[in-house]
Amino acid sequence: MLRYIIKRVLEILPIIFVVSILSFLFIHFIPGDPARLVAGKDATLQDVQNVREELGLNDPIWKQYISYMGNLLQGNLGTSLKTGLPVSDMFSSRFMPSIYLTFFAMIWATIIGLLIGAISAVFKNKWPDYLGMVTAVSGISLPGFWLGLLLIQLFSVQLGMLPTGGSEGFKSYILPSLTLGAGIMSMIARFTRSSLLETLQTDYIRTGRAKGLKESVVIIQHALRNSLIPVVTIAGLQFGFLLGGSVVVETVFSFPGMGRLLIDSIAFRDYPVIQSALLLFAIEFIIVNLVVDILYSVLNPKIQIQS
Amino acid sequence: MLQRKGWKILLLVVFCAIFMVACSDDKKETNSSEGKGEKEPTTEKKEELVVAVNENFISMDPHNTGDTNSNSVQSAMLEGLLGFDDEGQIINVLAEDYSVSEDALVYTFKLHQGIKFHDGEDFNAEAVKVNFERIMKDKSLRLNSRGFSLIKKIETPSEYEIKITLKETYSPMLTRFGVAKIISPKSVKENPADIPKKPVGTGAYKFGEWVQGDHLTIERFDDYWGKGDRVKKITFKPVPESGSRVAMLKTGEAGVIYPVPSQNIAQVEGDKNIQVFKVPSTIAHYVSINTYKKPFNDPKVRQAFNYAVDKDAFIKVVNFGLGVPLDSIISSKTIYYKKQEAYAQNIEKAKQLLKEAGYPDGFETEIWGNTNSDTMKGMQFIQQQLKQIGVKVEIKSMEEGTLSDEIYGAQTPDDAKLQMWYVSWSSYASDVTNATKPLFHSESFPPNGANTAYYNNKEVDKWMDEANSISDKAKQEELYGKIQETVYKDAPWIFLGVDEIVYGVRSDVEGVVVEPTGGLDVKDANFK
Amino acid sequence: MNSVSIDKNEKTVSMQPKYSPVKEFWKNFRKQKVAFIASVFVLLLILVAILAPYIAPFDPYKPNYDALLEPPSKSHLAGTDEYGRDILSRLIMGTRISLSVSFASVFLGMILGTILGLMSGYFGGWLDRIIMRSSDVLFSFPDLLLAIAIVAILGPGLNNVIIAVTVFGIPSFARLVRGATLEAKENTYVEAAKSMGAPHRRIMYKHIFPETVSSLIIFVTMRIGTAILAASSLSFLGLGASPETPEWGVMLSTGRDYLGTASHVVIVPGIAIFLTVLAFNLIGDGLRDVLDPKTKND
Repeated sequence: MLRYIIKRVLEILPIIFVVSILSFLFIHFIPGDPARLVAGKDATLQDVQNVREELGLNDPIWKQYISYMGNLLQGNLGTSLKTGLPVSDMFSSRFMPSIYLTFFAMIWATIIGLLIGAISAVFKNKWPDYLGMVTAVSGISLPGFWLGLLLIQLFSVQLGMLPTGGSEGFKSYILPSLTLGAGIMSMIARFTRSSLLETLQTDYIRTGRAKGLKESVVIIQHALRNSLIPVVTIAGLQFGFLLGGSVVVETVFSFPGMGRLLIDSIAFRDYPVIQSALLLFAIEFIIVNLVVDILYSVLNPKIQIQS
Repeated sequence: MLQRKGWKILLLVVFCAIFMVACSDDKKETNSSEGKGEKEPTTEKKEELVVAVNENFISMDPHNTGDTNSNSVQSAMLEGLLGFDDEGQIINVLAEDYSVSEDALVYTFKLHQGIKFHDGEDFNAEAVKVNFERIMKDKSLRLNSRGFSLIKKIETPSEYEIKITLKETYSPMLTRFGVAKIISPKSVKENPADIPKKPVGTGAYKFGEWVQGDHLTIERFDDYWGKGDRVKKITFKPVPESGSRVAMLKTGEAGVIYPVPSQNIAQVEGDKNIQVFKVPSTIAHYVSINTYKKPFNDPKVRQAFNYAVDKDAFIKVVNFGLGVPLDSIISSKTIYYKKQEAYAQNIEKAKQLLKEAGYPDGFETEIWGNTNSDTMKGMQFIQQQLKQIGVKVEIKSMEEGTLSDEIYGAQTPDDAKLQMWYVSWSSYASDVTNATKPLFHSESFPPNGANTAYYNNKEVDKWMDEANSISDKAKQEELYGKIQETVYKDAPWIFLGVDEIVYGVRSDVEGVVVEPTGGLDVKDANFK
Repeated sequence: MNSVSIDKNEKTVSMQPKYSPVKEFWKNFRKQKVAFIASVFVLLLILVAILAPYIAPFDPYKPNYDALLEPPSKSHLAGTDEYGRDILSRLIMGTRISLSVSFASVFLGMILGTILGLMSGYFGGWLDRIIMRSSDVLFSFPDLLLAIAIVAILGPGLNNVIIAVTVFGIPSFARLVRGATLEAKENTYVEAAKSMGAPHRRIMYKHIFPETVSSLIIFVTMRIGTAILAASSLSFLGLGASPETPEWGVMLSTGRDYLGTASHVVIVPGIAIFLTVLAFNLIGDGLRDVLDPKTKND
């Protein structure tokens, strides 16, 4: 087991390296000149060139990459072109809100998803199943920004119950996490259902039933427990996606998180910020993946770990 | 069996961990919101004003700021030698008086005495000098290329007198002295890295805290040298989604929102708790037409376009009835503005002009613009209007960075692929140079400037150069009159409209003003 | 002798799906009431898409500045938009655009992803590693970012939206097919065909690919929903189709400023997107219940 973990951790390094190169190429490959955007609309060519020189954008790309990586290894993420602030400062206030948002979204999505999935499986092909599945599938079928806008309109504007955005207080997390979690809820519900259906057909459960155990005991104590394994996996993977994927939700709710920072920075071609944000997302994603894989193999000894 | 137990425990641990994180966070968050005092009884005088604006603040470095919102925050904390009144015209602030030499090269300021910075430093000529030298030395600062690189020498004849000599004439210099806010010399010398984060100035408010992307707070500076009573604390919040901003004003979450999106005005106007203000701006909307290219090199085609577009409909459809038609090459708030006879919509005349130019059946062309929803709306409007005279327009909306590459990537007029560009321009009301030279001077072709119409008229060039080299106001006014008349007739743009800026204020808030440039002035804000 | 019997075996395997399963599929699928209703809805949508120009009551592009943002009425069943255009007509025309964009991008993504997944699963080794690690890398970028990058590089327009959404879907298809391939590879007849020296391409095409089809069908159906959502998210960020196009995402995105004043401009296209995506997802779910042997009825 330990060898497996070490091996997987070692595998991360090349991925991070590749991601760092790719994101570096990505930002330099998309059109747009940060110097021009920094200098302003009324800037002359000379002004733009001065800015470019000052920001070190005249160096060849490989040189910029090496100096970026050099700084990075010393823990220095660089300085934003747009704001002149250290990138780490810009991240520090935005990182945790994004994490909280993701957590809240995950929590409600998991609870409701499990519930709907279990009900649907138990009442397979009866109306609670239909209702449950249509509800669940609705979650993944709603355009996130549309749902967000409607929620704001209803709960903030019409009813005045919840704030429209920001990250102050638990209340302001409610609407964004509802929006963000809708898709996950749906995934988890559907996985729970099919996984539970599968388990319900195993001999082990049939035996339980035959032995005259109460149906509720069979389902809750035995079947649900067994079918949770794949659900944990899928929940974990979705968590990884969520961390980087809340761009649209953060925009709609003016949520001060990483996703919105990334979009703003791309619009401004703020190279150091984009670069570091992408790297951070990739690392988050990979770590979550790794944890899920490990968890999975711990949970299910049937999965062979090849080391 | 053991295995099963194992994972069960693990699962439990994971869930507990999640809940614990969530709950602890939960507590902390609610605490902090209680600390904000939102639920204070309304009978007491409120001590915190929340201002919701449309974009994130970029930087608090007053010498390196290009966006309106950062500027608004800064102007409550920082002051320049000069400043701007509600109409955007120049007034004295930290300077008691000033004079400009006849050759427009030497500027002399007499400073107010007894003013202190928020950190206790004295304000004097030396402090100003330290500031200006910072801008002169650092080429990456926005203001460097805007006048300050032209400074030849700075002299301080006495403690409260400063004399600045330029290498060459630069007529927007007075405006720049208004823009260049003075920060504590101590912060410039000892802590330059903190300037973009927490500036130290002489203004009515001092810096509180800035949580990136979430809010920025300023607090009343009780030793402020100026007069007036003001609210204790102001919190600025960037809220880009228009609907959310309006909701905040309606619920009282925000005391001021800027701007009120035009489509939402009707929603708030009936509310007796809310006052809506409309201010004419210097923001001019237009479509620049590449006059270097066929078929646009023929002024008749450009005039036909102007006759084809209904400006009133533009204001009604695209701007929700806000704003006025652009009836010169600059906005009516800009100094030396001279009204021209506007192109009223006349489809017959437009068709006739096209026919004379040799395009009786119209032609195909494209219009470029960024991805803002307002721009996309405007471009669609142009497309619909030009269809009436048989011109088929393809809309290409590009991300700002891509767009700027496409436009400024062209090194010569021959390289330019641009045909029409839907865009707006804004400059200080007191700065007519910047409202004309980058747009119409033949030296300002991309990539050297924003003359994306490639407008090339030697006479107009000459008039602009002359106006920029003198300080005689009467003569300048005459020259700019001629410039406006000539360019407007040549129609290098489709002249559309000038925005009105709309901001909303709760009825219990007073002292909030917006300048024509779009700057929000809250330094005298207070609750009634 | 040996080879003949294997050939026979193979035939019976590939013969079967041609015969009874279609019927059986139909029988089972009709039992999935929700999915069945959803497929009727999708068929109707496709019909609307085909007949769009003939059934749209108004010219979807024609503005009327005297009838801006009118709420639904007898003459304009879904109201008018910010230029006074008939929203219903735009929705109808938009059906065609939204469906073709999502179909095109999903099928392109499927083809490329399937090829990569087959090769990855079948050959294994370094090829597998490269393909899977690259898909890891693609996955680790935030979801819309790739699409944004592609549109930023290629410029705006419907075709580029299709390319962006395609690229966005390739890794998912590759993973799915790889998984199915790994399973199919273990089958004895594949082993046998291999040992007989059948060319790789033939084995992949004849023996392995058919095994992945049922998972592919399920996934494609669901993917169409995702593609519609992805395209509309791009439009929301201003990077989608040209703004006068009656694509649903564009309608939604340009309409969002009017939510407070003329909510029908936002709500109507939103519902269209929602119902369509919902229908595809429900069909996908139903198909899985029918096709996936693991969850088959007792």
